[in-house]
Amino acid sequence: MYQKTVTIVAPHGIHTRPAALLVKEAKAFSCDVMVECNGKQASAKSLFKLQTLGLYQGVSVTVFATGEQAQAAVDKIASLLITLS
Amino acid sequence: MSFNGIVVSPGIAFGKALTMTSQMPPLDFKLLNAEQIKLQQQQLTHAIDLLISHLQHCQRHLCQECENFQLIDADIMLLEDEELQQELQLHIKQFKVCAAVAIDRIFNQQAAQLAELDDPYLANRSSDILCLAKRLISALHGHLQWDLSTLIEDTILLADDLTPAEFAILPLKHIKGIVLESGGLTSHTAILARAAGIPALLNYHFSEHHQAIKDGEPLILDAISGELHTSPTAALLSQLQQKQQQELQRRQALTAYKDKPSITLDGHSITLLANVGNLSEVSHVTDVGAQGIGLFRTEFLLMNAKALPDEQQQYKLYSEALHSLQGQVLSVRTFDIGADKEIPYLQQSPEDNPALGIRGIRYSLVHPDTFISQVKAVLRAANHGQVRLMFPMVSQIEELEGAMALIEQAKAQLIEQEKGFGELSYGIVVETPAAVFNLPSMLPLLDFVSIGTNDLTQYTLAADRTNPHLAKQYPALSPAVIELISMTIAHCKQAKVKVSLCGELGSDPQVLPLLVGLGLDEISINPTSLLEVKAALINGRYQDFVTHAQNVKRLTRIDEIRTAINTVNCN
Repeated sequence: MYQKTVTIVAPHGIHTRPAALLVKEAKAFSCDVMVECNGKQASAKSLFKLQTLGLYQGVSVTVFATGEQAQAAVDKIASLLITLS
Repeated sequence: MSFNGIVVSPGIAFGKALTMTSQMPPLDFKLLNAEQIKLQQQQLTHAIDLLISHLQHCQRHLCQECENFQLIDADIMLLEDEELQQELQLHIKQFKVCAAVAIDRIFNQQAAQLAELDDPYLANRSSDILCLAKRLISALHGHLQWDLSTLIEDTILLADDLTPAEFAILPLKHIKGIVLESGGLTSHTAILARAAGIPALLNYHFSEHHQAIKDGEPLILDAISGELHTSPTAALLSQLQQKQQQELQRRQALTAYKDKPSITLDGHSITLLANVGNLSEVSHVTDVGAQGIGLFRTEFLLMNAKALPDEQQQYKLYSEALHSLQGQVLSVRTFDIGADKEIPYLQQSPEDNPALGIRGIRYSLVHPDTFISQVKAVLRAANHGQVRLMFPMVSQIEELEGAMALIEQAKAQLIEQEKGFGELSYGIVVETPAAVFNLPSMLPLLDFVSIGTNDLTQYTLAADRTNPHLAKQYPALSPAVIELISMTIAHCKQAKVKVSLCGELGSDPQVLPLLVGLGLDEISINPTSLLEVKAALINGRYQDFVTHAQNVKRLTRIDEIRTAINTVNCN
């Protein structure tokens, strides 16, 4: 398993629009990509689940994945989490 | 079998059905058997596919970078979400409930979770989720709640009700007809539909009269005889196309009256003005031969805006209106806020009885800042043309004095700020019986009076103008209202103050002989009806109008008055 922890900087957090972009990117990878935040976990490929995590400014988020391209997937999603707004 | 609604804006329209449902059909919690469960699961999949393809269809007319496109993208992504779909399917199976119940529960859970988030911005998304749930349940019933801003086809809009604010954002280019379950002849939506020239039928119970109308189904709205036709036969189609042609020809023939002076055959002159609600309408009134604006409903400027337009913005707007009027009069009615005209960003406190509450001048007197900034804008604009200012809902001298004192304050501020301004004429809209009785005390302060027959009728007969069950039995053409109009005119004549009428009554060519015969100096009319009314004036004799009015004044029953109006022949 590969994992990475980042902090959200976007003022409005990862709200609907950036979250949708994130899901799109996650779906490009065949491996399962999970996002953990505030003690809750969700698949990065499910906008429905992702929304409930509370990805707002200042919170710490851990992205982890196993399997094919796990590292690339985690790096991609983690970088999106800190750049999208 | 045909059913008739109330025609509020005549015409014939062809278009595809579009239902805007504010009310969901009640959820059915009945437990299902295995076969039904399978069926519900299939219907859910079908509804999701249907809504997704519809949303994609909407997106085609938007640029990919715009926010709307991306938000629709997010909706599509939620609908495509495998975890969500699995959860819904499982819920149907596990709890043996229909798809609508599953959607309602799962989306509500989601919305509740979102609402609990610490960040208010993210928590606000919970209403988007509930909105999507509503659309998905509608899709189960065959209704695709179109995002109206992306409408591209000729459409006949069906709805329970439509508020003036909702009307304001309709893409009017594609809305060919409107059918509402509720509403009366003088509800504001009716006025707006008429002003926009969109055929509209109100108080028409389409959900009772027709089998469920599916979105996209071809409809014909005959807002002349008051009928809605579903699945029309070829014969009916061509018959109504012909009727539409005739209607267009009739309107075309009326244009001959555009430049004729508004004088009766025996030389009695009446000023015909137009009622408008926005700037684009102002620029069209000269096309229909109006001699100016008799009523500018300024509160409609607020319904379309995100925030209250400030003095400078209003000044620009009124100046532009005066510019396009080229010397003709502009009668500005100060914001008539309250009753059924709610302005979201003004945060009016809820009232049990808003029509009898803080509305019109009453609102202005308790919110003097809003009033003063509007008056300052109007005073400054008066440098560029002829402007009359009138106050809605004034019933007694105290209100009028209060308004005039605020006007002095506005002038003092303009002088202090070294902003130039012009002189105004001042008037009130007479729309309560009290205003009629108190008129003699107020007339010395006034340059003109305008009778607002819609509210005068509602307040005289104690009949809510938005209640469709009352529209027929409590019309403006009732003995009490005619008497009050007549009294108002008499008071004004005695004080030598100009008297005008700006209600919907003035837009009916059949009523013109009565109104002119009662002695009005001016009538302000919906632009779409102006030429028709003008034709009735030009082709009639004032002496006949006076005789007709005297006859009508003697009548004591509504049906007698109706007959007298319908059979009048003053031409």
